[in-house]
Amino acid sequence: MAVGTSGGKTFIRPDGREKVTGAGRYTADLASTGMAHAAFRYADHPHARILRIDTTKARALPGVVAVVTQGDLPDVRFGGLVQDRTLFAKDVVRFEGEIVAGVAALTETAAAEAARLIEVEYEPLPVLTDFVAAMDADAPLVHSDWSSYERDEQMVADGNTISYSTIVKGDANAAMARADVVVKSRYESDASQGVPIEPRAVLAEWRGDEVTIWSSTQVPYAARSGVAQTLQIPEANVRVVVPLLGGGFGAKCDLHFEAQVAALARAARRPVRLVFSRQEEFRAIAQRREGIVMEFETGAMRDGRLVARRARLVLDKGAYCGEGGFLGQMAAMHACGPYVIEAISVESFLNYSNRQPSGSVRAPTAPQVCWGLEQHMDEVARELGLDPVELRRRTLIERGAEGPTRQVFDEIGVKQTLERAVEMIRYDRDLPEDEAIGVAVGWWPSGPAPSGAYIHLNGDGSGTIVTGAQENGSGAVMAMPTFVGEELGMEPESFTLLYQDTAAANWDMGSCGSQTTFNSGRAILAAAADVRGQLLDAAAAELEVDREDLELAEGQVRVKGSPDRSVSIADIAGAGTIHGKGSGDVPEVPAGDTGGCVGRLGSETFAAPQLITQAAHVKVDRETGVVRVLKVAAAHDSGVILNRMGADGQVTGGVVMGLGLALSEGTVFDDDGRQRNPHLLDYKLVTCSDAPEIEIDWVQIPTENAGPRGSKGVGEPPQVPTAAAIANAVAKVLGRRVRQLPMTPERVWAASAEVGS
Amino acid sequence: MTRTFTTAATVEDAIEALGSGARPIAGGTDLVVGARQGKASLPEAIVAIDRIASLGGIVEGEDGLRLGALVTHEEIVANDVVRARFTALADASAIVGSHATRAHGTIGGNVMNASPAMDTGGPLLCFDASARIRSTWGEREVPLDQLWTGPGTTAVDPRELLVGIDVPAPIPATGSSYVRLEYRRQMEIAVVGVTAVVRLDGGSIADARVAITALAPTIRRVPDAEAVLIGSDGAADGIAAAARATAAGSSPIDDVRGSAAYRAAMAEVIAGRAISAALARARGEHVEIPASSSTYAGLGGARA
Ligand SMILES: Cc1cc2nc3c(=O)[nH]c(=O)nc-3n(C[C@H](O)[C@H](O)[C@H](O)COP(=O)(O)OP(=O)(O)OC[C@H]3O[C@@H](n4cnc5c(N)ncnc54)[C@H](O)[C@@H]3O)c2cc1C
Repeated sequence: MAVGTSGGKTFIRPDGREKVTGAGRYTADLASTGMAHAAFRYADHPHARILRIDTTKARALPGVVAVVTQGDLPDVRFGGLVQDRTLFAKDVVRFEGEIVAGVAALTETAAAEAARLIEVEYEPLPVLTDFVAAMDADAPLVHSDWSSYERDEQMVADGNTISYSTIVKGDANAAMARADVVVKSRYESDASQGVPIEPRAVLAEWRGDEVTIWSSTQVPYAARSGVAQTLQIPEANVRVVVPLLGGGFGAKCDLHFEAQVAALARAARRPVRLVFSRQEEFRAIAQRREGIVMEFETGAMRDGRLVARRARLVLDKGAYCGEGGFLGQMAAMHACGPYVIEAISVESFLNYSNRQPSGSVRAPTAPQVCWGLEQHMDEVARELGLDPVELRRRTLIERGAEGPTRQVFDEIGVKQTLERAVEMIRYDRDLPEDEAIGVAVGWWPSGPAPSGAYIHLNGDGSGTIVTGAQENGSGAVMAMPTFVGEELGMEPESFTLLYQDTAAANWDMGSCGSQTTFNSGRAILAAAADVRGQLLDAAAAELEVDREDLELAEGQVRVKGSPDRSVSIADIAGAGTIHGKGSGDVPEVPAGDTGGCVGRLGSETFAAPQLITQAAHVKVDRETGVVRVLKVAAAHDSGVILNRMGADGQVTGGVVMGLGLALSEGTVFDDDGRQRNPHLLDYKLVTCSDAPEIEIDWVQIPTENAGPRGSKGVGEPPQVPTAAAIANAVAKVLGRRVRQLPMTPERVWAASAEVGS
Repeated sequence: MTRTFTTAATVEDAIEALGSGARPIAGGTDLVVGARQGKASLPEAIVAIDRIASLGGIVEGEDGLRLGALVTHEEIVANDVVRARFTALADASAIVGSHATRAHGTIGGNVMNASPAMDTGGPLLCFDASARIRSTWGEREVPLDQLWTGPGTTAVDPRELLVGIDVPAPIPATGSSYVRLEYRRQMEIAVVGVTAVVRLDGGSIADARVAITALAPTIRRVPDAEAVLIGSDGAADGIAAAARATAAGSSPIDDVRGSAAYRAAMAEVIAGRAISAALARARGEHVEIPASSSTYAGLGGARA
């Protein structure tokens, strides 16, 4: 349970004991008196017009207490950059997991039966599953009238293309023409899933006009505003509480069913609980990792200099925008990578299809594009006759270098991560002919955002930290008492946390974007500084000394150098007046020259980027295509590491998750856009036994625009270059490239058997 | 809808419950997990047989093994006689699911679930095992080659209970193995599996059995592959020919787990490995249990 270290000290995370012993309560464990159970009726066609919905038989079933369709609700569309979806289908269903109606009944069985009894008459529409063919002139439209939807002005509405983004620097065509070598590659990644161990659950209970919703969400504040918007009630009337969260990996970002369950509870006049099955967790959520088709072209000089990069990316948005409208531009930045490239022209299309919507899953778009780009970089190295590590040594960004949009970098540790990873994996050693080492580099931005926190000291000298931060299991929130304790010279155990409750703290972005320590941590430290100031003022008055002469240690405010002149923090707090609050200054997003870029959605420069090199040592069974990863060396620049054990845990988990993305995890769609493997039997996660040896090191250097104490994000980066490093190792063994992700045994076998590369 | 769940204390109780329409549940790792996944809904009446003491235990005699229906995969792997003389069966039980699956899943459930992808079937078939079946009208023996009639179906009446499996003792100088294609190191399901049993006489193969798993509607032997091996000296070209015959004798399907072309190619690769491992064991050489991970050097064993 000791899963944290700070300042060399190990601490026990506050939620550790209840999680390890099984005493902890997750949303599905909660029940309320009189509670009814929710069930959804899903679309019977992946794309169809709804002609008629008849709920008579469902309503007549004994035990049914509510049936809700979109007709019962405000006519409101929701979504991030494009507002294209209603809570229940209105007129048209666009993917297999679309919700046509919701039912609440006294038993789960009755709810399921009632959902079945709803009669829906459809007129099937042409199904569009190919997100590349979605751009053909004669492709059926997923949203025929979407130019009328509310949307961000940077979102291009063109046929099925929801966003079009470019990254443009200089004249890539001219630069390409004068390159010594030009290398072109094409890669394609399948869709995949976040697969949190806890399928989601929502419990909603109304009191008058106010609703409390317990939800397994990563983003309680986004859920709150989504409920308020779609049900047309004030945010103040919506309280979202997250019990323990059983993982998310991005799959639990965005508004997810809180509003539907609240609507059912209001109609039923009872608390209503929804608990997803594993199949629903695969099919009905609007948050999977996007498939991407990538074409790269790089022009390089003999000495390795990268003079031109052209790339064209097509991404699979699925049926709705959700929070994932930014994916196209993010992918475009990853098609550049942390390299010095003189001229760039990358274009990225984000397209609708009649498939499950995609959204942010751990470092959205980055692992797939990195997997393509870093293989492409190895192909460039081969063409140049350079070792792949040497090519990277010559081309990675460093202090003073210009990014893809001419963002100028301050101190940045990517080259050090390369050297450390290569050293840890012992890159130059001799290996048997069926083993090889591959190296890949990636990056990921930190996400500056507002946050706020309160710290109350109680009369006995204990304290409460109130934060909007969301704990997803990483321990980021659990480390907060330690940081506060360090600021205030108190024991971490003196503090309890009041968190993931929208009624308690002010807005927070939630557990997404590797930003909990970066933003929420900053706010909590600012609140601690406020408390510290108040304690110093009180003690200075009491001891009649200057504030500057005081220090906080061992639960005392004491005079530096004469520790017997002190006043205990408990005594000061006894007056009941010590309440700190803080937000801290949000670090700036660096400027760039984005004049030539279309579709600017916030990813055009990277604030406090996290840099990663991973090296993978693999063994390939050429006859079967089975790949085993023996070791991964991970070297990261995530700034100053505040909790080494927690940070290492993120890398360990991220590497193992990356292994799944690399080798086995892919959602397979049929010709109708239905998932063929929506269960853990055939959606193959990596098991503990498949985990390689993982060696980790941190390049800790000062960073411009960093988070608290010089930190950057930690959670998403480990996922970024893992599949890429494995791919480069596999290609070294085979002498051929596997051009589709995941690199399943069959695909590796096919690549190994094929002639040429 | 009413569901009944009763627990039988004796075989007689169980048979009586079966007679009135109940389905037996042993470890539940097929029945319950299948229902959760929506394969088939849970039966309305269930009788738990897991507490019937007489259905447990492995008896090793001169004439062979008697496995109680409730013997778990974990018990099979731990049994020294199974490991030494019925090694292919140990290979199979050792790779069923995960530790938890092996601790709960029974041989009876494995056999009666009649999946063409289940792992112990190939070894049992090649060892000429038979199922002991009991009902209110008596006891009968069903050789395993007559037990499975199709995917998920058996020649056993729903009112009958499998009480045990008898495996005759092999003749000395016999080596056996079961090898499965494994994408992951745990929690796999057979996409391709091959059992090989060979008996050496002098330098040549006096008898051979080859069976395929997940490569046909039921687990079955491949006589053509066996014929290639019998009388040969066990050299590489003979093994390769038998492996080709194994692939030729299979009728693989196309699904999310693999294309028919890949499965056919893997049938040959895995057959070659299974036959080689069986031969090595017949010669007294050491091959790790499970053979799946050790037949490709280093893939499953210790990490680098
Ligand atoms: C995660 C997981 C992984 C798995 N991996 C594998 C694997 O790698 N290889 C493999 O082969 N299997 C695997 N299985 C399937 C299963 O675990 C095995 O088949 C196991 O041996 C079944 O035994 P059980 O006692 O749990 O069967 P149960 O589920 O109890 O029963 C299975 C069927 O047999 C019937 N039955 C059980 N006992 C008798 C009896 N004595 N007489 C008549 N009928 C009976 C039941 O009515 C039911 O129809 C896996 C299952 C899971 C959940």
